[in-house]
Amino acid sequence: MPDLLINLDNITKTYNSAGASVAALRGVSLEVLRGQAVAVMGQSGSGKSTLLSVIGGLTPPTEGKILIDDIDLYSLSRERRADFRREYLGFVFQQFQLIPYLTALENVLLPLTTTRYPGRQKREMAMQALQRVKMDQKQERLPNQLSGGEQERVAIARAVVNEPPLILADEPTGSLDTKTAQEIMELFSSLNEAGLTILMVTHNPENTAYMNRTITMQDGLLSEVSKAAAGTKPAAAFCGGSGQLL
Amino acid sequence: MNLYAIALNNLLRRKAKMLLILCGLMVGITAAVALFMIVESMRLSLGDQIDEFGANVVIVPRAEGMEISYGGTQISRVSIDFEQLTGADLEKIKEIPDYNSINVISPKMVAAVKAGDKEALLVGIEPRQEFIMKPWFSLSDQAGLSAGDRPVDLALIELPEDSLIIGSEAARALELGVGDPVLINETAFKISGVLQPLGSVEDGLLFGNLSAVQKLLGRPGEISMIEISAYCNACPVEEIAAQLSAVLPNGRVTALRQAALLREETIDRFSAFSILLAAIFLSIAALLVLTTMMAAVHERTREIGIFRALGFRSSHVMQIIFMEAGLIGLLGGFFGYITGSLTARAAGSYLTGSNSPVFWQTDLLIPAVILAFLIAVAAAAYPALRAAKLDPAEALRFI
Repeated sequence: MPDLLINLDNITKTYNSAGASVAALRGVSLEVLRGQAVAVMGQSGSGKSTLLSVIGGLTPPTEGKILIDDIDLYSLSRERRADFRREYLGFVFQQFQLIPYLTALENVLLPLTTTRYPGRQKREMAMQALQRVKMDQKQERLPNQLSGGEQERVAIARAVVNEPPLILADEPTGSLDTKTAQEIMELFSSLNEAGLTILMVTHNPENTAYMNRTITMQDGLLSEVSKAAAGTKPAAAFCGGSGQLL
Repeated sequence: MNLYAIALNNLLRRKAKMLLILCGLMVGITAAVALFMIVESMRLSLGDQIDEFGANVVIVPRAEGMEISYGGTQISRVSIDFEQLTGADLEKIKEIPDYNSINVISPKMVAAVKAGDKEALLVGIEPRQEFIMKPWFSLSDQAGLSAGDRPVDLALIELPEDSLIIGSEAARALELGVGDPVLINETAFKISGVLQPLGSVEDGLLFGNLSAVQKLLGRPGEISMIEISAYCNACPVEEIAAQLSAVLPNGRVTALRQAALLREETIDRFSAFSILLAAIFLSIAALLVLTTMMAAVHERTREIGIFRALGFRSSHVMQIIFMEAGLIGLLGGFFGYITGSLTARAAGSYLTGSNSPVFWQTDLLIPAVILAFLIAVAAAAYPALRAAKLDPAEALRFI
């Protein structure tokens, strides 16, 4: 019995803008197993970021059902969805999105701010996350005192600090040079090897080499499936578009 | 790391915005505190001025029988069984607990006399006390004035024992002018001044030195009535009247309610005016906080989206906004109190037209801080609600 973490069933998302309807997702079904590293490829406007936002509990779908760890995400209230994000998801945003007036350590502490852990334990968890991304020596620096790669590492530490089962990353290497991008992808790869499930939106084909499964999106449809790389967990999941289960 | 640390860090990072809100609140609280202190000072000063303007307590002998009145106030009653007031009673007045609230004590001897061949009412007074209490009295003519000189202030006049000041109507009826001699009950006096017409009973009176009048009437030490001007800021005039009644069992003490009512009404209007002005200033401050916080929330849209994506509830976002506003409110209240007090002390005397300084009112500190806190938090309510309602996906511009 495969350990299913994400289950999207026939998801559509339509935006109404200036009287016109734009379908960002058109009947997307997707299953992702725990421990997979999935790259979602596609050009701008293909709907990949909407897919990430819907899975992240930030954008309710127009139709369809999303189960994460068997929890029907959009049956939860807005506030309970916030709790769910805190416990189940780690976000790595485009442009890092660190809070500029907080130090690296404080940024990593953010997801723990509203938890009930004792203060000392929160700090220990944040330090461990920074050590994991090799940023513990620069914990007191503000984001503007860090390089792009370092900021990305802090953003990843923030995403993993509360040890969520799923990491959602939106173009994490989009603003990095090639060498730094490789380092970051290696980091994601090591996190996946450590057991974290990763769903990454990217338009850089080189990044797919670090993932064990690749999905291509076009015009709101999932149109391609790649098999898992050797030595990684099997990509025994299915994905599809237009309501079909692949 | 907690919500408070996030709020504090944000304030420290956005110093310009924080200072703008802080200044807005400070201006509002400064104006309110300064206004309150100045108006409070004016209230006291105005109260004192009203209290100084004429008598607010009158004491007459306690007696049964026919009333004799002067200026609408009962002086005494014709009776064979009543005790006169005397100079000793003036000393007893000093024994009351609120003697310090008494501004002027003006004893009088009133009697009907023969002025030449006509009847007149003669009032023996202690001139300085009487004319300080009634500053609206002034001379139209004075004996010994050179051409072009103006009559002296009555409160400064020395009235010799053989001299009289007469009302304008009395001067006309008795055909007397300054420097004229007049026989009062066969004793020679000289007119040293004529009063300006007042349109009151005083126009028909003759005023002489109290001791001279007592001697003339053969009633040394006797007093017909005592008029008192008391400051009523510290204690109500009724309280002073009660204390006087206790030490003067032979006197009937009357608190002039009309004066008290005028005082209350005037002061109440001043209070209402100050509250209205303070409310206007504070409303402007609240509006500034509201608009600046709205702008800050707009500026932080993406940041709020990050918080929400990381699992902050709407209530957590609201708490951060309220904490920021509350912190600024506390600072604005404290510094507003300081600057308001300094402003009141610096400008108070000039604005009130009084020489008395505006005193520090430390009891205003806590209300000022609480008021600023409440204004800041209330003004931040709408921006906080807007922030809480932000769609995190929209805020992050995922699409």
